[in-house]
Amino acid sequence: MAEERELQIHPIMQESMQHNARIVSNIRALTASLFGVAAGTLGLESFPGFLFYLFGTLIISLLIYAFRAEGKPNMYFYKPLADLWMGDLFGGLMSFVLTWTLFYGLVKA
Amino acid sequence: MAGPIEQQIHRDPALFYWILLPITVVMILTGILRHYLSTLLQTTPKKQALLKMREQRHLMRARNMIINHAQISKAAFNKRKEWFADKVKEGTLLESGPDGKAKGKPNPLSDPAMMDGMMGMMKGQMVMMVPQSLIMGWINAFFSGYVIMKLPFPLTPQFKQMLQAGVGTRDLDVRWVSSLSWYFLTLFGLQPVYNFILGSNNAASQVAQQMQMQQQGNPMAGAEDMEKIFAAEVENLEVVEHWYVLDGVEDRLLAKFASSI
Amino acid sequence: MAPIFLTPPTDPHTALSISAQANTFLSAQKTLWSSLPYPLSLFLNTESQEKWTSYENLFLALLRTGDHDSAYTCLEALTTRFGKTNDHILALQGLYQEATAKNKEELEEVMKAYDEVLQEDRTIFSVRKRRAALLRSVGKPEEAIADLTVLLDASPTDGEAWAELSDLYLEVGALEQAVYCLEEVLLVTPHAWNMHARLGEVLYMSAIKMEGGEQTKTLSESMRRFCRSIELCDGYLRGYYGLRLTTSKLLEMLRDGKKGQVATSDPVTGDLAPPSVATVKKLNQLATAKLGEIVRRGTAGEKGWDGYSEAELKAAKALIDSDTQKIER
Repeated sequence: MAEERELQIHPIMQESMQHNARIVSNIRALTASLFGVAAGTLGLESFPGFLFYLFGTLIISLLIYAFRAEGKPNMYFYKPLADLWMGDLFGGLMSFVLTWTLFYGLVKA
Repeated sequence: MAGPIEQQIHRDPALFYWILLPITVVMILTGILRHYLSTLLQTTPKKQALLKMREQRHLMRARNMIINHAQISKAAFNKRKEWFADKVKEGTLLESGPDGKAKGKPNPLSDPAMMDGMMGMMKGQMVMMVPQSLIMGWINAFFSGYVIMKLPFPLTPQFKQMLQAGVGTRDLDVRWVSSLSWYFLTLFGLQPVYNFILGSNNAASQVAQQMQMQQQGNPMAGAEDMEKIFAAEVENLEVVEHWYVLDGVEDRLLAKFASSI
Repeated sequence: MAPIFLTPPTDPHTALSISAQANTFLSAQKTLWSSLPYPLSLFLNTESQEKWTSYENLFLALLRTGDHDSAYTCLEALTTRFGKTNDHILALQGLYQEATAKNKEELEEVMKAYDEVLQEDRTIFSVRKRRAALLRSVGKPEEAIADLTVLLDASPTDGEAWAELSDLYLEVGALEQAVYCLEEVLLVTPHAWNMHARLGEVLYMSAIKMEGGEQTKTLSESMRRFCRSIELCDGYLRGYYGLRLTTSKLLEMLRDGKKGQVATSDPVTGDLAPPSVATVKKLNQLATAKLGEIVRRGTAGEKGWDGYSEAELKAAKALIDSDTQKIER
């Protein structure tokens, strides 16, 4: 109830939220594929590969936090923990695996 | 056998040019094709009859009243609430008017509006399913019978059946997979690429597809008895605990600017 | 597409600048390839979402500035794309005919055309709205009110229609109904700060005509509406202006200390208690300070403060200066 009231008093613009989420999603997908290329070229295997991905995503989130959200995630995201830090992890993972497999195969043989 | 031995298979680099790249290109192109096909197959929304529209919009107004009741004073809200309750009792807001009250539920198969809804849903599903099955058949026909690459990460042995479809050996490591697995990888992994090429409203990304199917379930629900829906809204209006957004707004405002005065 | 084409021309200044760019825009659309026969012209499809919005806004601006020929070109392009029987195109055609009508008889003919269309299909709301607008422009507000009431009975969630209806009620002087209509708009768009400000203005107008306790109640409600509009939009000049006006008036009245006022909130009718003198004083100070800041920074053209129009800034300056004059006296 209190949250509903809070939302009525200080409303959240749906469009802006979606725009921000889309931007985060795009950034993640792009950087994930690049990380995949790096992981494949380095010849990383299972565990180190995934760790590389998580580590890279963390760095990217930090960069978004510092440069795009200007250190004030509450202004840009309704629930920054879910939207900014754990943004579009699954989609990013898929791109990562795709490019990782491709370059791993290219380099290995 | 001293523990898991690294299985090495030498592969012809030409494999990549002749298999991986063509499959990728085909996947991207079918995605784009799917997007344009579904845009073209969309039917223009049909205009609603006046009375049906009137019924729906009055219902929407009642729902707006419940959601946004804080914007108007209690007296104003009560006035509207009573007006709505009276109208519902008279039955003048219904499509069939106050006389056609006992019409009951229309038959789903004969109601034209819902036929359109169902057709739209089926079309969407067809556009999704047909290319997928076609491509799977194509891959199985042309690219089966050999492993193509090594996955960088291990999987459970159950996947062997699916990913090593045509290969006859039993001891081969699960990491060696056939071209079908590349198909699956691209199926999931190309969604961000579609987002880049086609803009975010594209019909080629799977997640959006699933959401669309859920949203199109709504026309089916419209067949229910409008009278009951209206009566339910009247009750909801009664239950509303009215609070006024202007209550205390000046204090909130002063608190907000307290630092800058 | 230049961003200037994306919003409708609401004031004469914008309309002039849009129509000045009309020629370049129209000639840019006529590329060599678009006049090719059907199959080949598909390849150079320049369709985008903004293209037709720009056409429409250009059309409106050209009609405002009197350039009827170029307006007709735009209308033709729109009709070719969307067809003659499209609802929106019908309304635009009617608008064109109204604008180019030379005397009363021609306007009557336009009215007859609208009636014919509406008889065939009662759901073409765009034409009904045009009819109401035409009635208003020839000076028959009551009939326009009747028209809009019919439309709103069929479609009660149309915020634009409610806002126009409230304007019409104001024209004929029925302030209570105008307030009702504006409340309906707020039910549809609850966070529209310009609507809150408008409602505040209408309440202020009705408060001026009242007396005693009623006046204080309406005046404080008006003040609170302006507060809400500022809460939703920082730096809203219209909100601060209204806040300044209402708080000055309230201070006068509360200082005179009229007896017989309601001092506490009434739980039955939900009326709120009038604000305390201290709160009103603080709000007055806030409004004056903010107005001064906006005027100062707006006229200096500082970055981030250039969204205010000249007329607004002048009016705000006049308001502040009138107060300083009183003090000096």
